[in-house]
Amino acid sequence: MPADKSEVLQGTLDLMILKTLQALGPQHGFGIARRIEQLSEDVLTLNEGTVYTSLLRLQQKSWIASEWGTSDNNRRARFYSITKRGLKQLAVETENWERIAAVIGRVLALEAKA
Amino acid sequence: MSDRALTFAAKLKALFTQRRADTAFDEEMTTHLEMLAEKYEREGMSHKEAARAARRQFGNTTLLKQRQRESRTTMFFTNVWRDVRYGARQLAKTPVFTIVCVLTLALGVGANTAVFSVMHAVLMKMLPVQDASHVFYLHTTGWPDGGSQTGDSNTSFSYTIYRQLRDQSGLQEVMAFIPMSFSGKAPVRVGGVPEEAAGDMVSGNYFHGLGVGTELGRGFVQKDEEDHTPVTVISERFWSTHYARSRDVVGKTLFIKSVPFTIVGVAAKGFEGTEGRLPLDFWIPLQSRPEFNAWGNPAEYGMYLTKLNFWCMKLMVRTAPGVSQQQALARAQTVFDQAAYAGVRPKRAGDETYKISFMDAKQFDTQDDSFARMLKTLMVMVVLVLLIAMSNVVMLLMARNSSRQREFSVRLALGAGRREIARQLLTESLLLVTLGGATAWVLALGATRALGTWSKIQSNLQPDGTVLLLTLGVLFLLALVFGLAPLRAAMSSGPEMVLRSSATVSQSSFQKVRAGNAIIVAQIAMCVVLLVGAGLLQGTLRNLLNTPLGQKPQGLLVFGVHPQHAHTKDESIAFFVALQQRLRTIPGVESVSLVSNRPGSGWSNNNAGILVDGHKPNGIEPDQAEFRGNIVGADYFRTMGVQVLQGRDFSDADTASAPKSLIVNETFAKKYLGSLNAVGHVLTDPKGTDPSLIIGVVKDHKYTSITEEAKPMIWTAFAQGGPQNELNVEIRVTGDPMAMLPTVRKVIAQIDPDMPLLDPTTQSAVFEESISQQALFARLAGCFGILAVVLIATGLYGTLAYRVSRRSAEIGVRMALGAQRSQVVWMVLRGSLLLCAAGVVLGIPLAIAAGRGLESSLYGMKALDAASYAFAVVGVAIVALLASAIPAGRAASVNPTRALRLE
Repeated sequence: MPADKSEVLQGTLDLMILKTLQALGPQHGFGIARRIEQLSEDVLTLNEGTVYTSLLRLQQKSWIASEWGTSDNNRRARFYSITKRGLKQLAVETENWERIAAVIGRVLALEAKA
Repeated sequence: MSDRALTFAAKLKALFTQRRADTAFDEEMTTHLEMLAEKYEREGMSHKEAARAARRQFGNTTLLKQRQRESRTTMFFTNVWRDVRYGARQLAKTPVFTIVCVLTLALGVGANTAVFSVMHAVLMKMLPVQDASHVFYLHTTGWPDGGSQTGDSNTSFSYTIYRQLRDQSGLQEVMAFIPMSFSGKAPVRVGGVPEEAAGDMVSGNYFHGLGVGTELGRGFVQKDEEDHTPVTVISERFWSTHYARSRDVVGKTLFIKSVPFTIVGVAAKGFEGTEGRLPLDFWIPLQSRPEFNAWGNPAEYGMYLTKLNFWCMKLMVRTAPGVSQQQALARAQTVFDQAAYAGVRPKRAGDETYKISFMDAKQFDTQDDSFARMLKTLMVMVVLVLLIAMSNVVMLLMARNSSRQREFSVRLALGAGRREIARQLLTESLLLVTLGGATAWVLALGATRALGTWSKIQSNLQPDGTVLLLTLGVLFLLALVFGLAPLRAAMSSGPEMVLRSSATVSQSSFQKVRAGNAIIVAQIAMCVVLLVGAGLLQGTLRNLLNTPLGQKPQGLLVFGVHPQHAHTKDESIAFFVALQQRLRTIPGVESVSLVSNRPGSGWSNNNAGILVDGHKPNGIEPDQAEFRGNIVGADYFRTMGVQVLQGRDFSDADTASAPKSLIVNETFAKKYLGSLNAVGHVLTDPKGTDPSLIIGVVKDHKYTSITEEAKPMIWTAFAQGGPQNELNVEIRVTGDPMAMLPTVRKVIAQIDPDMPLLDPTTQSAVFEESISQQALFARLAGCFGILAVVLIATGLYGTLAYRVSRRSAEIGVRMALGAQRSQVVWMVLRGSLLLCAAGVVLGIPLAIAAGRGLESSLYGMKALDAASYAFAVVGVAIVALLASAIPAGRAASVNPTRALRLE
């Protein structure tokens, strides 16, 4: 199914946002996009608008909360922060991700030897 | 799972904040773009370039906004809303169809709701008391000889029984209550105006024993009963109507029978007492003052507290927890067996044993059977009406939707899923049912009120939660049926149908025609049953109305008077004699008389035991000589318009000092004296004492009700009898009796401003009221019959018209091949007459069965009344013909060339 690919992508974006919010504390959408850009080192190209789709989804699941505030350069901006439920979810997903990554890593390593 | 629930909740919430969320997101996006552009500018791009790069980096904003909007809230409602709008458009496109369907549904469901609401309130609803399953009304099968009781033979008990049950039976509570008078009402005064209010005198544990709370203040306590304290609890309704729900009502004074009572509480909302059809306004603890004797009886007859054989208290009990109903009843029976014989001669061997029983604490203590039967019969009738209505709508929907087959085919061809079509059909049917249901509820509210008024029930009958639930259930079922019935037809239209012509479609619906026929036949059968029932009941009503009364109730005004300040026998007699003389002087009054029991009101004094001239009456054992009695004033028979056959009417000369005289009716004279020549004979009681001279014989006439048989009857003069604390005044006037009422009120107010006229009405109305139940039954049955006929007519017309229009090609071919117009007309008429005949054949046995069930409600009619059956059969035949006339005419006017060219 073609939907699966985007599903995985979405999932990873959600995970990245959760992690970012956990690591940096409350952030606005622009800040999150910058952080991901920084970390991905141009490996991941991403329409920054997609961040908002992901943010909405996370908010509907109550994993993050949002609040209007003022940005560094005195702009009104919506700040997102991770909730308790979100922290729990992050732990679960991190573990999941690591497990899958490890498995895939091992599988790929095997192929390389053969 | 919970994530999904949270998401759904968030989406639902977003539904209501749609617009705000849109603008907020706009702002968020703009800020982001600006910040991004600033970043690029800082990195060295020109202002314009930076903005463009930012937009590129951000992505398609419009698409994002749309996607955001979609995922922010749920599309379910948007889709439903679209379906609803589409459905509404479809219904608006065929307004006649829609109106017919909605009205049909409203009438069918509304009538059902109303009748069910009344039936539920009267037969099923429990009293609003705590833990009602442990509360019961106490009934008895009888009372020992020598007991005197109130006329409500099943529910009357003596004070001794009440005390002993309370103290010895182990029942948790025994509550007693006594109406203030036979009408249940008593004169009260809140401010300056005297009026009547309904009340009960109750035991101290009445409120807490039943578990009824108060809105305000307190209920009664045991001490109130023991000390007979002059306090009262008023009903929530009385509080609203007379005190405007003022919270300082507690402590105010309410005058009851001119005695000041202090209001100590307001009963909980919804509690209207335990008297069934009469909602109460106030309660007072058991009183010992002479004017508060049970049922407003004169104290001279003995106070209910001390006269041991006076069976006048109604009782309710609450069984103790953990004790079964049978155990409690058995113990109560033992106590009752003892207590019942207080004040009368002890039980002898061979005497009947009287059984007490517990009846569920319903709002209405066991109704008289005829009313319950009437309600059940009406319920069956309205269900039939509903079935007819429902099948009508189904047929209409099927007809309409099969003409929409092309639409469905097109939609299927364009890629609509079957689910979408099903959802849309269901939405349309839901729309119809919602419209119909809402109209039905409004109708039902009005109809319930009307039903209550017509059946003389003043207590609250309005539909409650249970009724609403049932109605919603019925509506839901209807919506399903209406949605699913046309579904098959719609589904069978595959996309390829678009290409077919309508003629071939009509060929394929042979099966549907048969299904439609079956429905019509069933409808006609039900209609026959309803019409036969209506005919039988109308005949009964006609018989009742045409029964000769033997008197002239037209032109008579009647009202009750209860003197407030006449305490002894002599005072009361003097009061009424003076009253009669004063009323005679009013201009326009032809004659005035007084009577104890209003004729036609159902009340009667029943006695037995006489000797005629010291001998057995006409060879009958004196104790077996039963007769009815009434106590009247001078000029009684002249005023009532009853023919005096022998002797004379009572006159002013028949006073306490004159020889005791009485008047008998024909039946009495024939049965107990052997001839009409009864004047001059002397009647005594079986001991030979208390002689009275027969001074007249009058023609038999109706006393308690229109339906009664003539019974032996005597009339005595009130001036020669015991004390009278209430008498009815009958005034014969020229012209409209009610027009005289204001004048009479003024005269009465001059005599005593504190004395209200009790139940003023016309004597004709009293008799009409006595058959109000039968009249109501007949009229409602008639209404349902007519409703059924109208429904059948519309259903039949709709179906036939539709069929003719589908068959126009076929008819065109027939005509092209030489069929005459008359043949075409006959073809259509024959079809509907055949259906009608089949319906009648099926309906008549059903009607016979139904008629059997009605038998006990009929008067002067046989269940197999030929006229009623003929009326029903002719009725449906005419309806069938009328309903098919227009379609037949349309068929005949088919133009063969045009019809064929269309194909």
